[in-house]
Amino acid sequence: MDILLQQLVNSLSVASVTILIGIGITLIFGLAGIVNFAHGEFLMVGGMATWFMVGAGINFFLALVFAGLLVGALGYAAERCLFRFTLNRPMNGFIMSIGLSVILQHAVIRVFNEFQKSIADPVGQVWTIGGVDIIAMRAIVVAITAVIVAITYFGISRSRYGMALRASVSDRDTAELMGIPVRRYVTGVFIYGSLLAGIGGALMISLFPITPFTGSVIIIRGFAVSLIGGLGNVGGAVVGGLVLGLVDGLSAGYGYPEWTDAYSLVVMILILVLRPQGLLGGTLGPKAS
Amino acid sequence: MPVTDNSAGKMGATTEGTRARERLALLTADNASVPLQASVQAITAILLAALLIALPWLGLGYRFLSIAITTIYTAIGLYGLGLQFGQAGIMSVGHAALMGVGAYTSAILSVQLGWGFWTTLPFAMAMSAIVGGIIGLPTLRVGGQHYIIITFCFCALFVIVLTNGGTFTGSATGLDVGSVTPLPGINFDKLSNNYYLVLAALFLALAATYLIGISRYGRTLRAIRENEQLARSVGINVDLHKLGVLMVSGLFAGLAGVLQLYYLRHISPSLFGAFPSLYLALMVMLGGARYLYGPLIGAIIVNFLPEVLNLDPVDSRIAYGVCLLLVILLLPGGVSAGIKNIYCAIAGGSEEQGGGSNGRA
Repeated sequence: MDILLQQLVNSLSVASVTILIGIGITLIFGLAGIVNFAHGEFLMVGGMATWFMVGAGINFFLALVFAGLLVGALGYAAERCLFRFTLNRPMNGFIMSIGLSVILQHAVIRVFNEFQKSIADPVGQVWTIGGVDIIAMRAIVVAITAVIVAITYFGISRSRYGMALRASVSDRDTAELMGIPVRRYVTGVFIYGSLLAGIGGALMISLFPITPFTGSVIIIRGFAVSLIGGLGNVGGAVVGGLVLGLVDGLSAGYGYPEWTDAYSLVVMILILVLRPQGLLGGTLGPKAS
Repeated sequence: MPVTDNSAGKMGATTEGTRARERLALLTADNASVPLQASVQAITAILLAALLIALPWLGLGYRFLSIAITTIYTAIGLYGLGLQFGQAGIMSVGHAALMGVGAYTSAILSVQLGWGFWTTLPFAMAMSAIVGGIIGLPTLRVGGQHYIIITFCFCALFVIVLTNGGTFTGSATGLDVGSVTPLPGINFDKLSNNYYLVLAALFLALAATYLIGISRYGRTLRAIRENEQLARSVGINVDLHKLGVLMVSGLFAGLAGVLQLYYLRHISPSLFGAFPSLYLALMVMLGGARYLYGPLIGAIIVNFLPEVLNLDPVDSRIAYGVCLLLVILLLPGGVSAGIKNIYCAIAGGSEEQGGGSNGRA
């Protein structure tokens, strides 16, 4: 029983990172209409930046903020220089994002190297609650994620910005006629999603070592999460992340660990085929022109 | 603007069938399907064939010929991808896995039953086609991006299955096969003979692509690409055609996979994973999927660029990425579209206007 609880706590912290990347993808794909395959690389860059800053003696939590800002700036640059030209041709944008992901991955290898990098546990405490040992950093990761999820959820579903954003997804032309600066919203969503990826990367490196190739692995999970939940649906991404995180955590502990990655892929293919709008319902993604 | 395009199309379809047909003819007549003069086409084809056939005699060395073989079997796989993307507008980022299905079918038949190259080839091609069709089933329900993600998942799943397949698939180390069964008088252990084998397959692929492009079947596919609803409304069985083109694309991939297997003599799961698949997508975009020589040009650029510029693998991958971004931003129809536009400009043709609409993918 203790082992089960511990597995659950561990899964929850892993799920947190997945949720962060899933929310980023669900917003960018579902609301801004950009399929950004380089999102996983954004996360990896965030992790690498954190590793570099912590190595240079900066406090982890400060580094986390900087990593978020850095990757947000990266997202801004990518949107302005690349994706804004392909808004009407999502397929071209998608292919371009593959190119971007290859560039980022190998640029990181060029700047650092291809080996895995890790940082020491920034908190370094273990809490024992009811006979279960919980590594404090893991609990903090879950807490930070919960705060971000709450902010994003209320931002999208309650604030007038979120409402304007959803309006521009469902009918872009009308939204523009109503005076909503749709283009600027697209840029804003892209930056916000990228920022979340940066924070996700920082949190991830506090849990496990990462390599320059981490991004291309995590991106599939990110798409899985956002599609399982329904594109553009923040709550859906949380549910999707929890489902995947639990499946992974439990299969690593009890099932066949070598098939861990396969489960999420199978779940995702099934959902895409059987319920393309996701479990909780969302947009069907950008409409091709 | 595209929105008005569609609605105009729909209105035409509902009011009058003939107008819809006319409109369809207009839509499919982009620059890519505007034929060049027959003489120009013939001269290009003959020059290219002569160059490719003469290649082993030019004394360029063993390494050059090896890269040429790699380029050509990759190009054969790309012709399948070019067909489904260029003609029918269905992009896949799991195409290397489809090549892998062919290669592994052939290797497993060879290891388990002791069959040779020629016997396994049809089975491998059929297997790739069937798997291609099965992965294609979801496209009938979901849109383009969802299908891309499904293909990517399939690719990742394929590698996991191969890696966990035990001795049957050779796990992470992979499988070995012997050399190509010699035909009377031709021993394929010699590199130049292997080159001619691969080249013959390339000519087959080129011929098939050309014939599909000019046939009624090709026109139907292009109609589906340009406006699926309109195509449906004039009585085209869209679902069947989509599945069909994915299976034909699978045939090409199977052929390419078997050629790759018998050239390398050893295959492992990493050859067919996400990265090779992404590079296939890159090459086909780079070359231009809608043009007969586009996939070949893409394969040549990507395979020979690091060699020509003398780049190490990391730098060459960065270079690929940058090339891809530049091509999509500046030349959405690929390098071959650029070449054709330049040719049209020089020849004084009025076909230049297609430049912008080419990249509508």
